[in-house]
Amino acid sequence: MTTFKAPPPPFDPELGAALAAMADFLPSAVTPDMIPAMRDLSAGPRATDDELRRDGRFEIEERAVPGLDGDPDMSLLILRPTAPTGTLGCLYHIHGGGMIFGDNRSGVREILLDWAEEFDLVVVSVEYRLAPETPHPGPVNDCYAGLRWTAEHAGELGFDPDRLIVAGGSAGGGLAAAVALMARDRGGPGLLGQMLLYPMLDDRNNTPSALQMAGLGMWDHTANQTGWGALLGDAAGGPDVSPYAAPARAEDLSGLPPTFIEVGSAETFRDEDIAYASRIWQAGGQAELHVWPGAFHGFDVTVPTAQISQDAKRARVAWLNRLLNA
Amino acid sequence: MRDLAVRLAALDAEAGAALQVIAYFDGLVEGRAGLQSIVRGAAVLAGCPARLDDDARRVHIRMLPDGIAAPLPGPADESWPGQPVGTAMLRLERVGPPGPVDAMVLERAAGAAGSVLDRTRGRAPATDPAAVELVVDASAPADVRLHAARRLGLPVDGTAYAVALGSGESRLAAAGTPPPTTRAGIGPAVPLLDLPESHQAARTALRFAAEGTDEDPGETLVHFEELGGLAVLALVPDPAGVPDVRALEHAANAAPWVLTTLHAVASTISMRAAATVLRLHHSTLQDRVEHAEHWLGWSVREPQGRLRLQLALALRRLHRHPS
Repeated sequence: MTTFKAPPPPFDPELGAALAAMADFLPSAVTPDMIPAMRDLSAGPRATDDELRRDGRFEIEERAVPGLDGDPDMSLLILRPTAPTGTLGCLYHIHGGGMIFGDNRSGVREILLDWAEEFDLVVVSVEYRLAPETPHPGPVNDCYAGLRWTAEHAGELGFDPDRLIVAGGSAGGGLAAAVALMARDRGGPGLLGQMLLYPMLDDRNNTPSALQMAGLGMWDHTANQTGWGALLGDAAGGPDVSPYAAPARAEDLSGLPPTFIEVGSAETFRDEDIAYASRIWQAGGQAELHVWPGAFHGFDVTVPTAQISQDAKRARVAWLNRLLNA
Repeated sequence: MRDLAVRLAALDAEAGAALQVIAYFDGLVEGRAGLQSIVRGAAVLAGCPARLDDDARRVHIRMLPDGIAAPLPGPADESWPGQPVGTAMLRLERVGPPGPVDAMVLERAAGAAGSVLDRTRGRAPATDPAAVELVVDASAPADVRLHAARRLGLPVDGTAYAVALGSGESRLAAAGTPPPTTRAGIGPAVPLLDLPESHQAARTALRFAAEGTDEDPGETLVHFEELGGLAVLALVPDPAGVPDVRALEHAANAAPWVLTTLHAVASTISMRAAATVLRLHHSTLQDRVEHAEHWLGWSVREPQGRLRLQLALALRRLHRHPS
C-alpha cells in the first residue's frame, strides 16, 4: 500500500524507561521459531483458584462446553460474584497473545475481577485453541461457540442476557470484534457492548504505524506477521481473508453494539484500530476511541504503575459505567 | 505478561537488577519525565513508598509502590534512607533492612529529580502577602491561619520562622530553610500557630539590623534569639534622646571614619583584630580611637566603656530604624 516510514512518535517517558529496563526480556520482534519460548514467557505465574475467589467473593467453575458444529469441547472459566448488589451482567473475555499464546486466566485476576466487583458482572473467559496448531477458523469458532453457550445459559449463570459484553485485548480484541460480527450476521446473541483493547484487526500488516514501529516497542511488524502467518498461513495479506479472521476486512461495520477501542500511538495497531473506530462511525454506529500518546502495545499490562496506564484503566471503567449504569 | 516490578523482584540477587535500575532512570531523564514519574519509579522499583520533599520550592510528592500518588501522612521520619538533592530530600519509607536495590534507586532517582527541579522549579513560588498577613494575625481563627500556612507551603506539623525584610515585607519559611541575604530580622522557629510571636520578634530583630554602610555599619542579618538582653532596648521610647547616642552623633559628625572605626572596635576582640578588619595600621587606629574617645567623652578600650559604646551603637540603630 505505502512505503511511508517517518520517525516513530516518542514513547511516554515512564513507558520508554520501562522498555529500556526490560529490553533484554521483551523482544519487539517475534519470529515463528520463538513461539514455544513466547508461550513459556507469557505464562508467568498463573492465577490460582484462591486468587480468583477473592476471599469468597467469587465462585469459580471450569465448564467444558461443545465446540461449534462438531468441533471438540472447550473450557470456559466462569467466575460468579457470590453477593451481587444489583442485576448481574456478563463480561465474556477473550484473552490475547497474538493468536499463538496465552490462556483463559491471563489478565483475569488483574483487571476483570475489579470490574466484576464494581459492576456486578459474571466473568466468562474462553480457552480457545491456538494457532498455528489450530488455524482459522478454529480459534474464532471456539470463541463464538463459547459466547453462544454463555448467552443460552444466562439463566443458569444468573445474569441478565441483555447485559452481555464481549471484551479482549490484542488478539483477544480482534477475536472479540470478530465474534461481534458473527453475532450480528448469524442471529445472535445480542451484545450490550464490545470492548476492544489495542485489537489485532488487520492481517495485511501494512498500515503506516505497522511500518513505522517496525523493530520498536512491543509486538512489532515482524511479530504481527508471525501471528497472522500462524493463523492464516500463506493466505495472510492475500485477497480472500474472512472478516471473522481479520475484522478490518469487513465491508460493513453497521449494526454493531456500542464499541470501546483503545490503542497506543506508538504501536503497530494504531492506524488499523483508529480506522476501525472511524468506519463504525461512518456506518452510523457508536464508538469511543482512546489513543494513548506514546503508549506501546500492552502498555497497561507491562507497566501497570505508569500514570498513563492508570489513566487508560480509568477510561475503561468510565465507559463500563456509562454502558451499565446509564 | 509480568510487569516490571515483578521482573526486578525476580532479579533481586543478581547484578542485573542494578543495571535495570540505571536503565530505567536514564530512560526517564531521556524522556524528560516529570517529578511524579521519578518518585513513582523509586517507589515501584524499591517496593515501598517514596517521597520527595523540597520545602524551599514547596514540592512534596509521595508515591506508593503500586504507582498511586498518596497524600503525605506527616513529616518524614529521619530514620528512613534518604538522598539529599540540592534543597530537596528523596526518601524511601523503609522500616527494617534495606531492599536489594534501595541504594541504587535513591542515587539514580535523586539525580534525575535534581535535574528536573532545576529545570522546572528553579524559582521558588512568589510569596502571597495576604496569606502571610493572615498567618501572623493572632486574632484570625486558627483554621483560617493554618489553611493560609498550607497555601504558603509551610509544613503543617512542623515549625517555621518569620522574616522581616528591610523593604518592609514579611516572609515565612519552614525551619531549616536558608535565610535571605538582604537586610532582615529573623524570628525564632516555632509551631505554625505561634508565628505571630516569631513575626513580632523578627520585626524587633530587623531594627537591630544595619544597612552595612559607612553611615550605618554592622550586621545586616540579625536573629532575634541572638540579641539576648539587648532586645529590651527596643522598648526605649526615644533612643535619640539618650545622652550617649547624642555623643555618638557628635563624634560621627566630626570625621567620616568614626562610625566604622567604633563599630570595628566594639565588635572585635582586640585593637589588633579591629585594625585588620579596617585594613589600617595598628598605630593609625590608635590615633583614630584616641580622637573618637575625645569626641565621645569616654574610653572605649576599657570593658565598661566598650559596653557603653555597644549600647550607644545599638540605640543609634534603633533610632535610625523606628518600629
